[in-house]
Amino acid sequence: MTANYRYLQASLFSFCIHAILFLYIYGTFDSNTSQTLLISKPLQIELKFDLPSQNVKKQIPAAPKTIEVPLDQIPQNIVYSKVTDVIQIKQNNELIDSSIANLLSEESEIEIDRKKQEITIYAQKIITTIESAWMKPRNIPNDLVANLRLKIRSSGRIIGVELIKSSGNIRFDNSALQAVRRVETFSFFNSIPKNLYESEFKIIAISFNPS
Amino acid sequence: MKKNLVLVALLLVPTLSQGELFLEITKGSEDPYKVAMIPFEGNKRVSKQLNNIMRNDLIRTGEFSILDEELLLPVKIIDDELVLSDWKLLGMDYLVTGTILNANNSLDINYEIYDIHKKRKVRSSKVFGIPNQIRQLAHYTSDGIYESITGIKGIAATRLLYVNEIKDSQLISTYKLMLADSDGANEKILLSSSEPIISPSWSPDGKRVAYVSFETGIAKVFIQDIASGEREAVLSKDTQISSPSWSPDGKYLSLTLYQDGNAEIYILRLRDRTLTRMTNQFAIDTESSWSPKGNKILFTSGRSGSPQIYELDLRKLNPKAKRISFEGTYNAKASYLPKEEGIIFVHRSNDGLFHIALKYKKENFIRVLTEAKMDESPSVAPNGNMVIYGIKEQNLSMLAGFSLSGAKFKLPASNGEVREPAWSNFLR
Repeated sequence: MTANYRYLQASLFSFCIHAILFLYIYGTFDSNTSQTLLISKPLQIELKFDLPSQNVKKQIPAAPKTIEVPLDQIPQNIVYSKVTDVIQIKQNNELIDSSIANLLSEESEIEIDRKKQEITIYAQKIITTIESAWMKPRNIPNDLVANLRLKIRSSGRIIGVELIKSSGNIRFDNSALQAVRRVETFSFFNSIPKNLYESEFKIIAISFNPS
Repeated sequence: MKKNLVLVALLLVPTLSQGELFLEITKGSEDPYKVAMIPFEGNKRVSKQLNNIMRNDLIRTGEFSILDEELLLPVKIIDDELVLSDWKLLGMDYLVTGTILNANNSLDINYEIYDIHKKRKVRSSKVFGIPNQIRQLAHYTSDGIYESITGIKGIAATRLLYVNEIKDSQLISTYKLMLADSDGANEKILLSSSEPIISPSWSPDGKRVAYVSFETGIAKVFIQDIASGEREAVLSKDTQISSPSWSPDGKYLSLTLYQDGNAEIYILRLRDRTLTRMTNQFAIDTESSWSPKGNKILFTSGRSGSPQIYELDLRKLNPKAKRISFEGTYNAKASYLPKEEGIIFVHRSNDGLFHIALKYKKENFIRVLTEAKMDESPSVAPNGNMVIYGIKEQNLSMLAGFSLSGAKFKLPASNGEVREPAWSNFLR
């Protein structure tokens, strides 16, 4: 009986270890790709951004609700309870406190949204520029994907191109590299705010995925 | 020195008098690398000839467009560095310069490739040659340029086999097995016969060829050494033998034998001429060809009622043929691409015309690559980027080629008809 129990314990332990290992490996792969990739589908134009600010975004949905509740309460208080002044003040104090927090989070949310929008606009420009320079080679298998990493100066000049994932077809890889070579400089980069450039556009990853 | 030059000039005469190669480029690719080639310094005549051959080699791949000579800029060198900015304004991607070195009995080439976008030299190489081998020298150089720009091995220095049929005034045919450079130049006759010659096939080392000759009245497979011209029949059997194909290690020939009442695929071990039967079917099985690794063969079989392509895994004990072509009622003469990622074959489309088609292993559809009426016997270049095949124009057979990137070219016969091309392996 004890032996059985121990076996059970051991297998549970081993299961946990394996699960942790599995999650760890899977998780790191996942986070690796999501951090380095600014994925574009040159023919379909679909972008995915994984910003560090996405964690903040999760808290945001709660914020509007907390704002709505006090606003409803204020007219209620004013209309129905003239007597309970003290309580009202107390409530107001609470209201003011919470609304500052809310305002702050709202503000940061707007900020993030604005940043996101801005990133999308510039990313879209990058995609369109590379797209117009890219010629997909003929007669290559359909399901090829190649990922490149670009290092870009704040002037928009591409100073480094690196093939981070080969499609397995040299002609396809070459066409992607050639497209980037053709582009050479993104003319609109000087309009990107400096901090945005530093955080998002200094190094970007592009995926050539025509399927 | 002067004497040397005279000697060089004399040696050049025969190669020049062979007549310039007539190579018709009918279509370029849509996104070529733009290359400026400065005529190599040195003997003007040699330089011009080299330039022509290399230009054609590169354009034929379909992946290059070469700047017209009249548009070339003077080469500027400041502080020992070649100035590349002017070339960039011309929209060039690469610049090639070179020097021809004449010494006693050798003719060498130094060439350099500059990446105009990266603003630096990407290759500096030397090719060694002899004065009467200018074509070969040019092909080696263009292969070097091709490889350093695309990362793919070039095929300009490979060779072709094909059959040339010439009819005299009484309409009596002479068949010649021909050997030529990949651009159709430098033709040599390997065999001349009054009976048909078909299905030439290269040994993987490029030193021998196998082919079917009807000189004895029936189809027989012969092996011939290119250098010595020595030849022998591979089997003394009194049966029709055809479509030889060399295994990648050079040790086996796959053949079609008719000794069982109909065509069946056999594999012949060349060392001791052991025959192994690979198919056993009431229908015709023929046109075998080996996979690049030598572990599979493709062949055409009529077992389903129409010619279709089948694959046989040689590693299995009793391999079962697996049908791999399903589109249409005629698919034949298949060969693998060099990485085995797909096959090239003849396909009859719905309009009843025969075209060369490509099917990738991972895809469940075929890609028709040619649009003439009677395209036949495709042969894939060893780098997998080009295919040469037979076409018919005004009822005359000739050779045509295309690159997967979309370039097309023709190799019209200088005399008579040409068919049954076979592309060699890399020869270096």
